[in-house]
Amino acid sequence: MFQGKQAKVLMVLVCMILGIMLSTQFKSAENAKNSISQQRVEDLAERLKTAEKDNFKLKDELTKLHEQSGSAAITRELTNLRIKAGELAMEGPGVKVTLDDSTVVSKPGDNANLYIIHDDDLLRLINELRAAGAEALAVNNERLLDISEIRCAGPTVSVNNNRFSPPYEIVAIGDPKTLESALRLRGGVIETLKFWGISVDVKQSDDLVVPAFKGTRRYDFAKVKVGDSK
Amino acid sequence: MIYPIIGVILGIIVGFYLPLVPQAYVKLLSVALMAALDSGLGGIRAAKEGCYDNQIFISGFFVNALLAVFLCYCGIRLGIDLYFVAVLAFGLRIFTNIAIIRRLYLKK
Repeated sequence: MFQGKQAKVLMVLVCMILGIMLSTQFKSAENAKNSISQQRVEDLAERLKTAEKDNFKLKDELTKLHEQSGSAAITRELTNLRIKAGELAMEGPGVKVTLDDSTVVSKPGDNANLYIIHDDDLLRLINELRAAGAEALAVNNERLLDISEIRCAGPTVSVNNNRFSPPYEIVAIGDPKTLESALRLRGGVIETLKFWGISVDVKQSDDLVVPAFKGTRRYDFAKVKVGDSK
Repeated sequence: MIYPIIGVILGIIVGFYLPLVPQAYVKLLSVALMAALDSGLGGIRAAKEGCYDNQIFISGFFVNALLAVFLCYCGIRLGIDLYFVAVLAFGLRIFTNIAIIRRLYLKK
């Protein structure tokens, strides 16, 4: 069928190339199955490009508009509103409260739930801080605003739709002395929590930072009342 | 008949240790693979018919594969899906080759 030694070697070589092609093709087909399809990648890359271009254009426009409306009064008003909306990080004196689950071993027959921190413990503590005049609050570096929730989410607590587990660190900016004494009232929050062995640590500090609100506000249902916008 | 089979098995083993082909070249490689398969089957057919020529086989193997890859590459550049055309043409030829090989085996 085949003549000569050279012909045989060549034949084996050629068939080897065929085999290499077969297995590499097989491997890349397996690989393609696991990754996002090429088409999809190209599509996404295209969309990213247009979005980036749009973003760039809008940023340009924004700076231009800022320059146009650069009067000092408006800038001051804007900063004021951004402070109220919690869009700026704040710093100042205040207290830092660290809460951790109880280290006390629950006695048999006792409800173990009483020894862990619940959303309402946090809420009571924060309510007390607010009553004592806290101006900016954060739980585990998550800014607390009028729309922030603190709610039980299984074994964790959800704040601004982010879940946190103990230890919780509450930062409040305000008069440090007033804030601490409000928490340490006889029969107050800390005393109740201490009773169950939950560790509460209150520290006064002169330079605390409360981060800016990272989420977005949506007004899908609420609209400005007709005639109420000046 | 044993040499081609040894070659293919060796190639498959070597190929498994080679790095992956980038996604962009997978289409080109698949066209080349179709051309190579077609040439291989053509070689078997020629051997069965008794007119096998080593030079024709080897030159056909490489020229077909490279030409197919080149055409496919041009198609991608021009925005024409020549890839499908190549796959279809080689697919048809592979089927005819297999049919003829089968017939030659049965006649024997």
